[in-house]
Amino acid sequence: MHKKNLIKPTQHLILLLLVEKPSWGIELLERLEARSHGAIRLNPGSLYRIIAQLVDDGLLRPVDAGVADRGELGAPRKVYGVTRAGLAALRVEAARQAEWVELARSLNLLEESR
Amino acid sequence: MRALWRLRVLLWLYPAAYRRKYGDEIVETMRRRYEAAGGGVRRWLMLSSLVVDALWSGACVRVGGAGQFVRGLTKGWGLDVRFVMRAMRRHPGYALTTVGVLGIAVSAGATVFSYVRGTLLRTPPYRDPAGVVAVWGSNPVRGQLRDVISGRTFIDLQRDSKSISLAAYHYSSTYIQVGGRPEVIDAIEVSADFLDVLGVAPVLGRDFDDRDRTSGGPSNVMISHAYWRERLGGMPDVIGRALITEGTPKTIIGVLPGGFEFVAPATLYVPLRDDVLAASPRTNIQYNVLGRLRPGVSVRSASEELSRVMAEAHRRDQPGWVDWTVLVEPLQRVSVAAVRPILWTLAVTVALVLLVALVNLAMLFEARTLARADELGVRQALGAGRGRLARVLAIETGSLAAIGALLGLLVTPFLLEKVASLVPLWIAIPGSALRIPVLRASLDAWVLAISLGTAVAGALALTVPGALLSLRRSRLARSGRFHRGVRGIRMLVGIEIGAATVLCLAAGLTMRSAARLLSTDTGVRDRGLLTLYFGDAWSSDAAGQVAYFRRVIQAVEAVPGIRSASTIDYVDFQAEDDFAGLDLLDREQHAGLAVREEWRRVGPRLFETAGMKIVAGRDFLPADFDGAARTAVINQSFADKHYGGASAIGRVINIHNQPYRNLEIVGVVADVKSLGPAAAAPPMLYVPWQGSKRGTQGLYVRVDGDAVQYATAVRDAIWSVDPSQPVADIRAMSDLVEDWVAIPRVTRALVSVLGAVALLLAAVGVFGVIAFAVRTRRSEMGVRLALGATPDRLMLELLRAVAPVVAFGGAAGVLAGIGAAYGARAVLFDVSPLDPLVLGWAAAVMTATALLATWLPARRVRQIDAGEVMRTQ
Repeated sequence: MHKKNLIKPTQHLILLLLVEKPSWGIELLERLEARSHGAIRLNPGSLYRIIAQLVDDGLLRPVDAGVADRGELGAPRKVYGVTRAGLAALRVEAARQAEWVELARSLNLLEESR
Repeated sequence: MRALWRLRVLLWLYPAAYRRKYGDEIVETMRRRYEAAGGGVRRWLMLSSLVVDALWSGACVRVGGAGQFVRGLTKGWGLDVRFVMRAMRRHPGYALTTVGVLGIAVSAGATVFSYVRGTLLRTPPYRDPAGVVAVWGSNPVRGQLRDVISGRTFIDLQRDSKSISLAAYHYSSTYIQVGGRPEVIDAIEVSADFLDVLGVAPVLGRDFDDRDRTSGGPSNVMISHAYWRERLGGMPDVIGRALITEGTPKTIIGVLPGGFEFVAPATLYVPLRDDVLAASPRTNIQYNVLGRLRPGVSVRSASEELSRVMAEAHRRDQPGWVDWTVLVEPLQRVSVAAVRPILWTLAVTVALVLLVALVNLAMLFEARTLARADELGVRQALGAGRGRLARVLAIETGSLAAIGALLGLLVTPFLLEKVASLVPLWIAIPGSALRIPVLRASLDAWVLAISLGTAVAGALALTVPGALLSLRRSRLARSGRFHRGVRGIRMLVGIEIGAATVLCLAAGLTMRSAARLLSTDTGVRDRGLLTLYFGDAWSSDAAGQVAYFRRVIQAVEAVPGIRSASTIDYVDFQAEDDFAGLDLLDREQHAGLAVREEWRRVGPRLFETAGMKIVAGRDFLPADFDGAARTAVINQSFADKHYGGASAIGRVINIHNQPYRNLEIVGVVADVKSLGPAAAAPPMLYVPWQGSKRGTQGLYVRVDGDAVQYATAVRDAIWSVDPSQPVADIRAMSDLVEDWVAIPRVTRALVSVLGAVALLLAAVGVFGVIAFAVRTRRSEMGVRLALGATPDRLMLELLRAVAPVVAFGGAAGVLAGIGAAYGARAVLFDVSPLDPLVLGWAAAVMTATALLATWLPARRVRQIDAGEVMRTQ
């Protein structure tokens, strides 16, 4: 598998979380922190750099969440969701990871780790 | 909402399109994070983290990702370094000037910062130094701010205080026999808790304990690590061995750790017994005291408690002393009090020189960047971005600055050695008689890193951004409106002139201050006066002592070239003090005013030998030394303080606890400024020496010519009377006086040299700017000359362009200099920061330098060939 097809762990977790539930900035930051047990703690600039990258790659897009929620600045809070291309990328990633998990199991690593 | 605006400012770090797309969301998310952080420090930490995040993310977004950003920073380094090397080889003058300018500034800076580090920022060699305090008996009304304490009072304070643990100490000297001759060594008598209070333990053996608290116990001593290593060969079984001092064997029970040096160095630690302390009279104050505050106790509350205990003790058995209090101060702070203002003044001075050097560098660099605008333009046209150009410029400046700084640091040890040979080893704590070796230099990794870092970071900050702006301006240069491009350089000249003016002013003030100090009459004729301590006639009775000292004086006066010799119990200018309680009787001689003043017991012809002037009455006569003392001489300060305008001659004085009763004042001598020319002379009573328990005496010897040359002859003469008597501290009086003026003298030298360097750098700066202007405006000037303008007119124009910059920079410098001088008044002696002579001198020197630096390169206008310029055009 070529390196360019790999999704970085933080991007991967963001995509998975947004499949689970479309979210906006601060909400996503909090969910990321909770799901990674505090291991992934991003600042807003870094989060939006990843979001912008995923939007540019066509994996994310702002979705109409049907909520007229506005922030302190008066601007609507943009809620991001995963596109079809994003779902496809996640499926490829999941299949690849399943292969890796199988390999780990064949090497008795999963049992040992328990 | 203020926070929101602060956060919104961070958006400008991102490209405009990105900002429009995600800006509101980023700010909203940042705001939530910021508000969730809580208050105080946490909020500031969060804001800092948001700023760093925005800087990093903005940079990444601009160059298209973190990896690309890092690759962009590191790509092509080798090529850029080669390019910079070639450029430097082509212009060695620029490279050498830069390296030289920074080298000078950094070596001066590192020298001064080594002293700041080693003296003001030093961690003392004992546990938790913040809790260690100096404890003084204090009576500001009587002019005794930091005085020693009597043994009995110390015992009371130690027993009754709850807030502090105390120890007493007393510097002394003793002697050991080496090769059949007595050798004097430094000793410190310490109470049993001394090391415990400091939190220090011996590296070998044990500390003093209860066995050493009372007389009659074993004669134990501890020795310094240096003495153990150097004189006893580091013998491992030294504990339990005997050391013979003053003919008596003492058992070595401990060796102090290496590097441990309390206030002053000492070789021998001798126990100070509690019963000896308790038995000393309340008025016999002679012990220094230190303490360790118990946890949670403030200096102030310890001071109040100790003052209460002291007042109660005095009420009990010394009612005349109830106005004495106890002053408690952090030991580290008080021990550097004498040198702190001078060191900070020097630190500010070298910081200004460094600023001038860096500004100079910035001007040179900017002029050079403008001159090579075409070359850099070609690189830009070939695809080099502004970031890449900035990196080339940064490599060039950073490497030159680093080389200059490293060369400067290589020179620093030699400068430190030179300064160390000029400054005194000992400095008295202000208002006390305790002298300490406080001035230490420490050229450690911290000083090296700060010096190197400041030079490189300062050079980069002052050059690269300006050069990048200049690249934009270079377009103006090509459009013929170049002179607008040098506006930035003119501003730098203004800053440089201002800083140089401050330094000129500082140099003028320190020179004038030192001149006043050095011309102050100290009250003794120090040239040709040799001083020393000799004798240790503890076992002799008074008559035996007098006979011994008279024989010594006869032997010394018999040495050819020696005019006279006399004794005094404490040599002047050694920061020694000896107070006595006195009763000053009134004219009817029945009521006495009790005072406490310094007194000295002197031999015949002391005033004549020392060169002290009799201002009223007479000197002691030989008959005054026969039988019981009946006469006394006082100094001018004593007369002024206690007798006012009335004549003191004929008045009568009694001395407490001493066999000196009904002394008639027969003369008044001029004051001896024994605490240095800058300090007021203490009131002093002189009485004829009649023998004393303290057998050691100071000896003054008046010689023809250089005093130190007689040292050996005088020592041999003393030993010709009794070879077992120690002779110590042989020094010329002029050297003792020099110790008190050495720091102002060195300050004057350093500030003057630094001022001259700044002046030279400023002149180079102005010269460079004008030379650059003439070179780059050659075409314009050539055309104007062809159209009839005279060279003088063009030169005048150049002078006019510089004049406002010099005037503004100079005026700002004078104002800043006056402000700084008011802040540093503590280092000035008898000179006002507004001294008109110094102000005029600084203004004149600065103006003359600026005019000369302008006129010299402006003359090149005459060399412009108008015809050739017109042909080229």
